[in-house]
Amino acid sequence: MEILSLLGQGFVVASTPLNITLLLMGCFIGTLLGALPGLGPVNGVAVLIPLTFTFGFDATSSMILLCAVYFGCMYGGRISSILLNIPGDEPAIMTTLDGYPMAVQGQAANALAISGVASFVGATIAVIGLSLFAPLLARAAIHFGPADYFALYILAFATIGGIAGVDPRKTLLSALIGLLLATVGLDPISGVPRYTFDSFHLYDGIEPIVALVGLFAISEILMLLEKTFKDRPKAIPVGSWLPQWGAIWRTRWAMLRGSGVGFVAGVLPGAGASLGSFMAYVAEKQTSNKKGTFGKGDPRGVAAPESGNNAASGGALIPMLSLGVPGSGTTAVLLAMLISLNVQPGPLLFERQPDLVWGLVASLYMANVALLILNLPMIGIFTRLMMTPTWALMPIVAAVTFVGVYGISNSVFDLEMMVFFGVVGYFLRKFDVSLVPLVLGLLLGGDMERNLRRAMSISDGDWWILVASPISIGLYILTAFFLALSVWLAVRDNRQTEAERLTEG
Amino acid sequence: MSVRILGVAIFVIAALYTRQAGTYAVSFGDVLGPTVFPVIVGIPMMILSASLVVFPTGQVDWPAPQRMWRQAAALAVLVGFTMTLEPLGFPLAAFALIALIGIILGGAPWRAVLLGAIMAPALWALFDQVLGLPLDFLGELFV
Repeated sequence: MEILSLLGQGFVVASTPLNITLLLMGCFIGTLLGALPGLGPVNGVAVLIPLTFTFGFDATSSMILLCAVYFGCMYGGRISSILLNIPGDEPAIMTTLDGYPMAVQGQAANALAISGVASFVGATIAVIGLSLFAPLLARAAIHFGPADYFALYILAFATIGGIAGVDPRKTLLSALIGLLLATVGLDPISGVPRYTFDSFHLYDGIEPIVALVGLFAISEILMLLEKTFKDRPKAIPVGSWLPQWGAIWRTRWAMLRGSGVGFVAGVLPGAGASLGSFMAYVAEKQTSNKKGTFGKGDPRGVAAPESGNNAASGGALIPMLSLGVPGSGTTAVLLAMLISLNVQPGPLLFERQPDLVWGLVASLYMANVALLILNLPMIGIFTRLMMTPTWALMPIVAAVTFVGVYGISNSVFDLEMMVFFGVVGYFLRKFDVSLVPLVLGLLLGGDMERNLRRAMSISDGDWWILVASPISIGLYILTAFFLALSVWLAVRDNRQTEAERLTEG
Repeated sequence: MSVRILGVAIFVIAALYTRQAGTYAVSFGDVLGPTVFPVIVGIPMMILSASLVVFPTGQVDWPAPQRMWRQAAALAVLVGFTMTLEPLGFPLAAFALIALIGIILGGAPWRAVLLGAIMAPALWALFDQVLGLPLDFLGELFV
């Protein structure tokens, strides 16, 4: 009951004219960014953050706008997967497997409608889960002391990106690079300038927003220049946008199963929407592929991954809001924005700023309805805008990125910093080093150091305080477990790819 | 091979970083001081990067030389924008940015120039006039 009244208050917050306008804008921009191949949720949100700063929105309005963009991307990614066979963003890769064959067989309208409804089901289930579980987790986390927070951050670094199967050493190195960057600037406790090279621009430290816009948006332009620019295939023409409702109803179980799998994948640290849609597709294939129709245009193969990636993106907000530890790339970027607005996510957020938390949750319910309308009857708009060629799109994105970052403090130094981080991001991506741990390190580094030093002053220099509470011991055991799991997965994947090479070659 | 070079580069940075950490003086009343945390970061960094040098994983497909020139050109345009924004003002600098990146990305030159000529003033009008984010129309050179 308490949750319902809090949620009611949230709807009041979310229903101000400004917030509703931002919500609708975010839904539209998000669907468009998702549908355009080459721009995904991370880049889209990263480009928009500096703009929200420049316009001086408060934390609640900024979060409503950016979460609407985030959810919109998850809806929009499927449009180009189905009509072009090019995923609009990374989580939509699985949708190409059955979505494009369906479109080829003249079922494009059905595929689009099924995936639209699946997105709605997945996202709504995730938001319900968010309203129920996030406060519980926050209440449990209220007992955390400084040493426990230190342990929690260690867990976050060890797990994020770690389950993805890449070399765990690279993931850890990425987190350490982030921590290294976080120590640049005046030391908050003693006031000693560290690693500033006597440049006054660096005394305030490295602005995380500037760094991450460079890491994600600028490096994307450099990545894009590597690819060949073939003429994009013509989109499959769609005669009528009206789907057969029976076809949607038949996929209801696939949607629910996909939502469940995706939601769990999203809540787990280190797994984002991409993994959510992948796991949902694989699980659905295992339960339903009795006639071998998957991969040839099975509607359930469209419904499962779409509900999965939307459920995962909602689920990933839970650890971000209640623990301050993001579960995916986009939530890491959202965390960066909150920290830059002086809002520290974590258990206390639910007590101190219930308006923000519940306004956001309420707006997500509203965003889902808005997105369903945008993505079913109004889908024609997006299929037309989707055909904007890359050569025209990316320069404008670059210009808007520069405007946003310049607007933060009218400083050319920030722009140079952003380009520098773009180059760093490009090289790290070439080496298969995930950027998310780096962003996380840069964001949490300051807090991690403060908690460590606070714990050590409490114990007067006794290192045993770090493992003195059952919470921190539990977190270290979890960390060790995740590290072992990711090492095991990396070794196994290595063998698998070698085996694949043998069978293919 | 590339991964080994990356390992060496990170190792050198981490080593310099750790060495530099030792020079920060410890102040009173602060048990750990500004030195310890960078050391905690630097030492595992050195160990991990050294292990990448010895046991590298993964291969990197570097782009063909022609593509690298394109990337270098794009980078030059981006840096050029940061240098010309204040002297020239936003519309002119953005015009060059949009037109040149458009050409580098393979757009027909006249179309890219046209796009820049339309979008640069349009973006200026949108941000400066409509949304109230101050951007210079003409830069320092013209004042």
